[in-house]
Amino acid sequence: MIQQIIALLILVFFVLKLTVQWRKKTININEFIFWLIFWLVASLLIIFIKPIDQLVINMGFSSSGINLIFYVAVLFLFYLIFKMRLKMVKMEKDITDLRRELTLKK
Amino acid sequence: MKIFCVIPAWNESHNIIETIQKVLNYVDFLVIVDDCSSDDTLIKAQELESAHSEKIKVLHHPINLDQGAALQTGHEYAINHGAEIIIDFDADGQFLAEEIPDIIEPLIKEDYDLVLGSRFLEKKSDIPKFKKNIIMPLAKIFNFVFFGIKTSDPQSGFRAMTVETVKKIVIENNHMAHCTEILAKAYNYKLKIKEVPITVIYKRYGQKFFGGFKIIKDLFFKKIIG
Repeated sequence: MIQQIIALLILVFFVLKLTVQWRKKTININEFIFWLIFWLVASLLIIFIKPIDQLVINMGFSSSGINLIFYVAVLFLFYLIFKMRLKMVKMEKDITDLRRELTLKK
Repeated sequence: MKIFCVIPAWNESHNIIETIQKVLNYVDFLVIVDDCSSDDTLIKAQELESAHSEKIKVLHHPINLDQGAALQTGHEYAINHGAEIIIDFDADGQFLAEEIPDIIEPLIKEDYDLVLGSRFLEKKSDIPKFKKNIIMPLAKIFNFVFFGIKTSDPQSGFRAMTVETVKKIVIENNHMAHCTEILAKAYNYKLKIKEVPITVIYKRYGQKFFGGFKIIKDLFFKKIIG
């Protein structure tokens, strides 16, 4: 119970930081909504951790629900890194093409 | 045959003038690509360009894009200005300009598409031991296993190509993996490749062990991302 309260307090802190960033306009509304939903889902998972544990056992997994959430989170992070890498490669190519074109025009 | 030489240069103010003056004796036109040097490389190259404007063109990247990108910029300039043979040469003075005729001869007389300078053939280069015995053999194994490259010196930066070859081999890797990329594409296009012995004078260590990992990382991502 105490761990759940600590985890929820941390999530409240993240949501507050998120709100501050949105108000300062460092992130746009779409990004704000995405992360807000993300943290709200995370809060729900923490609140309903016991039923999730039961669900995981019913599905035949030996580990607890929190472990499963971490595995899914790590996979999700890997996916995000890969997407970022793709975006960076494209940006680097665009910058190179642009710079080369300008260099050769001079 | 109109022979162009492309020299990518980044912070080479100590060597650039000597390199340009030596290379100029063996080629018809010289393209220097300053890759946003923070020293006087650009100014020194431009001084020589003013004195030999009919034979030298200095291009400048306002941001540092790295050696592969600088070479491709030079190649595109050479293609657009009537080059028939294009030589890649380093600005740091490690290669000998006197060996340029040796590297272009197979293109002219034997109809090769790509000629590579190799540090591991007959001539003796004073290669640092760790590099010669550890880094280079590992690089050779890697290049053979993943790209089918069988040359004795896949990381050599001294090469000559016909303009048709340069048009086919567009360097997409901005960084140091361009050597492997050029060879992989040459093998892919089934081009006629020859190696000639060259001498390398090591003023600096050059590519370090962890630099090799960066090359592998660049090639790996290029392979999966495309």
